[in-house]
Amino acid sequence: MKNLYNIHAIWLLMIALTMTTYAMGKLGATGVIVVLFLLLTAIIKGGLIIRDFMELRGVSLLWRVIMYGWLWGVCIAIAIAYIISI
Amino acid sequence: MTTAINNSEPKLLPGDLAIWFFIFMELLVFGIFFIVYAVMRIDNIELFNQYQLTLNRELGAANTILLITSSYFVVRAVHAIRDNNVKNCINWLGAALLGGTGFLILKSIEYSDKFSEGISLSTNTFYMFYLSLTIFHFLHVILGMLILIAVIIKAKHGAYSADNHIGVETGASYWHMVDLVWIILFPLVYIIR
Repeated sequence: MKNLYNIHAIWLLMIALTMTTYAMGKLGATGVIVVLFLLLTAIIKGGLIIRDFMELRGVSLLWRVIMYGWLWGVCIAIAIAYIISI
Repeated sequence: MTTAINNSEPKLLPGDLAIWFFIFMELLVFGIFFIVYAVMRIDNIELFNQYQLTLNRELGAANTILLITSSYFVVRAVHAIRDNNVKNCINWLGAALLGGTGFLILKSIEYSDKFSEGISLSTNTFYMFYLSLTIFHFLHVILGMLILIAVIIKAKHGAYSADNHIGVETGASYWHMVDLVWIILFPLVYIIR
C-alpha cells in the first residue's frame, strides 16, 4: 500500500477529484450535502498539496497549523455562509 | 529517481523561510477575498446563482487540471535536483511553465468571451467578484511563472545541485501556493451554488 502512495498517485487522485467536482457542477447538484461534499473535496486536494507537494509533512507544528488552519478555516467559513443561505 | 513520499525527518521548511512568510500573506489576502465573496452572496443568492451559470465550467476544470499537473511537474523538478540531475530539473520546470502558459491561454479565452459580451467589473456584484478574484489569481500565475523562469536560468548556469537547491524549492513552494488558491477558487466561483 505504501508503494502506491507516491506523487504520481496523488496527482491522479487530484485529477479524479477535479473531474468529480466538475461533474457535480454539470449535474447542477445543489443542497447542503453537495456544498459540504464539494468543500471536502477541495480540502482533500488542498491537504495533499500542502502535505505532499509543498512537503510540509513533519515540519514544525506552527507552520502546519498555519497552512492547514488556513485551508480548513476558509472552507468552514464558506460552508457556513452557504448553508445559512440554503 | 526520487518519487516516493519522504517519511524521514529533515524537517525544515523547504526553500527559503522568507517565501513562506510571503506565501502566508498571500493566502491571508485570498482567504479574506473568498470569505467576503461567500458572505456577499448571502444577500445576492439569485444573482450569484444566475450569473454563475454563464461561466465556462469546462475551461475552469481544464485550468484546474493544468495547474495540478504543472504543480506535479514542479515536484518532479525538485526530486530531480535532489538526485543531482540538473537537466531533468530544467526539463520538468519547463513542462511546468507550459502548464502555466496553457492556464493563461485558457483564461484569456474566457476573459475574451466575457469582455466581448460587454461584461466588466461594474456589470454586477457577481461579475465584480468573478473578474477581480480570477484576475488577481491570474497575476499570481504570471508572477509564479516569472519565478520559475528565474530558477530555470539559474539552473542552466549551474547554480543548483543535490547539495544546494534551496532556490528550486523556494520557486516550487510559491508555485504550489498558486495551485492551492485555485483549488478553492474553482469550486467556489464556478461550481458551488
